[in-house]
Amino acid sequence: MSARISFLKNPDPCSHLSDYKLRYGTDGYKSFQKLFRCFNGGRIKIKPQEIEIPRCSYCSVDHRRLYICLICRSISCSSHILSHTQSNKGHDIAIDVERSELYCCSCIDQVYDPEFDEVVVSKQLTGLGISVKSGADVVAVRSNKKRRLDSQLIIGSNFLVSPRDLREKWSFPLGLRGLNNLGSTCFMNAVLQALVHAPPLRNFWLSGQHDRDLCSRRAAGLLCLPCDLDVIFSAMFSGDRTPYSPAHLLHSWWQHSTHLATYEQQDSHEFFISLLDCIHENQGKSKCLYKDHEECQCITHRAFSGLLRSDVTCTTCGSTSTTYDPFIDISLTLDSAKGLSPADCRKNRNSGEPSVKPAMATLSGCLDFFTRSEKLGPDQKLNCQSCGEKRESSKQMSIRRLPLLLCLHVKRFEHSLTRKTSRKIDSYLQYPFRLNMSPYLSSSIIGKRFGNRIFAFDGEGEYDGSSSSSSSAEFEIFAVVTHSGMLASGHYVTYLRLKGLWYKCDDAWINEVEEEVVRGCECYMLFYAQERVIQKAHKELSYQVISMADAFPFADC
Amino acid sequence: MKHSVNPPPTPDKDVAEAFEKDELTLREIINIKLVESGEKENLMELVRDRLVECGWKDEMRIACRELVRKKGRKDVTVDELIRVITPKGRASVPDSVKEELLNRIQNFILSAAP
Repeated sequence: MSARISFLKNPDPCSHLSDYKLRYGTDGYKSFQKLFRCFNGGRIKIKPQEIEIPRCSYCSVDHRRLYICLICRSISCSSHILSHTQSNKGHDIAIDVERSELYCCSCIDQVYDPEFDEVVVSKQLTGLGISVKSGADVVAVRSNKKRRLDSQLIIGSNFLVSPRDLREKWSFPLGLRGLNNLGSTCFMNAVLQALVHAPPLRNFWLSGQHDRDLCSRRAAGLLCLPCDLDVIFSAMFSGDRTPYSPAHLLHSWWQHSTHLATYEQQDSHEFFISLLDCIHENQGKSKCLYKDHEECQCITHRAFSGLLRSDVTCTTCGSTSTTYDPFIDISLTLDSAKGLSPADCRKNRNSGEPSVKPAMATLSGCLDFFTRSEKLGPDQKLNCQSCGEKRESSKQMSIRRLPLLLCLHVKRFEHSLTRKTSRKIDSYLQYPFRLNMSPYLSSSIIGKRFGNRIFAFDGEGEYDGSSSSSSSAEFEIFAVVTHSGMLASGHYVTYLRLKGLWYKCDDAWINEVEEEVVRGCECYMLFYAQERVIQKAHKELSYQVISMADAFPFADC
Repeated sequence: MKHSVNPPPTPDKDVAEAFEKDELTLREIINIKLVESGEKENLMELVRDRLVECGWKDEMRIACRELVRKKGRKDVTVDELIRVITPKGRASVPDSVKEELLNRIQNFILSAAP
């Protein structure tokens, strides 16, 4: 019975039903099995063998609601069932003859027992010509309607779950749950949906690596955002599908970032950065101290942190100074990607991606623009170390180490300081579901600049074997945060990819969508994960048993 | 013990009396024939389908939901729902459905008559 869908919560049995079951177990139900008669359409009625038409044993009426006593099998109509119970002590539970549903005569109400339903359903299946292997195979459902629906489903699909069935809410992958809008909080919901379904974060929280009951910060009465996220994860993966209100998280976040504590619409990206910062602050410190390592070991940094390399080259003497900066996400400029230079187009063709019309903005175009060699203007002269003077120079960014989860932020909101205006760029950006990041790695960028000369790779060699190998540069998309509407009055919606299917998370509403819908959306934040992470998560999700230990083993993240 | 169950508003005294006298009313005879031939089950299925088609079922569902909401989830029993909803339900069955059912019963009687 462990396989029963847990969120179809059975109502508690009344005291009379519990008493009956304590005394007789399920034998009483089974003895009724031969009285069940299956009619067309899968409706189950009770037909006592000796009589053709069941009648009330008191008034011999045959057309009212009739009940058959579970203990003495006498039939009474709805008016006399009460006197039957009163005159025979303990005869509380009866079965509705027409519907085969349990009725408690003392509570004067319908009662439910999954084990009774199981007996009825197994009869129903045999009645429809399907053999039942064992009672436990049958998922017990409550109402007659559900029973019919289920049996039809099983017949139609030969015991396999049909593809249409996937469109039913309750068969959505575990963890999909709507988030209520608490007043312009769709910016938060959108980011939370993406984070909750990021495999490393999910594994981290669901494997209890930050347990709110064991947290020292929380015990000390301090605010702890990881604890609040732990609550969110518990709620999302509880199996309950009714929309959840992440009010306490919003409250804690407000206390962390007081300047953002308003009921106004915020920027999703800003929230994302601020939330990850908070997690890092709350969680990172304790672990950073004992780890004698330059990298922070908090979950934020383990999942999202990569390293950017920026080379500033003096245009006069050609000497280069290199700096490394950690990053959580990459912000891409949208406007400039529109007019791709011929060189960019060639690069696209060389890297095996379909050649695009120059007018269409693509993600690879944006990334090319991000990693281009940029001439710094005369007002930005830098002090060249070898020349010892301020010289004009050029700067080029590249990615030295890729993160596990790559968050790409498309700059759709443009704030002009000189004109003091803001505008939204709502042009379309084409993005792939599979992204190869190897052209933007330092090794490729530097290699392209200097040719394949060994001296140019100062310090890059050590990374060649591990992170810049082609396997870990392959990324797959798992979430897209989109923004639609105007600058001030827009709406954020998240598309999630789970098990190869796309789901639209629009606050409290979740539904499955076609791939084309996602391709056509106005993307604002793109969440990619390394291919192996997605594949591993895919394997984990495909476990049928919804047991925490089986479905979410400890994972390195 | 809660309040007793009110009887539904159907006249059936004659049936009971007739049974006591050990003779069957016409209504009884027809009913037995209907059950024996399996036609009753067909008719019930027909009525069910028609009531779903014309939206009667949805109407009743909404009425039930409203009542449950008004009374509170915990304080409502199935019997109470039936007592309150039945008069409304009987009154709002469309005439076309009644007519179709009546025709079917008439045809059955004609075909079953010796």
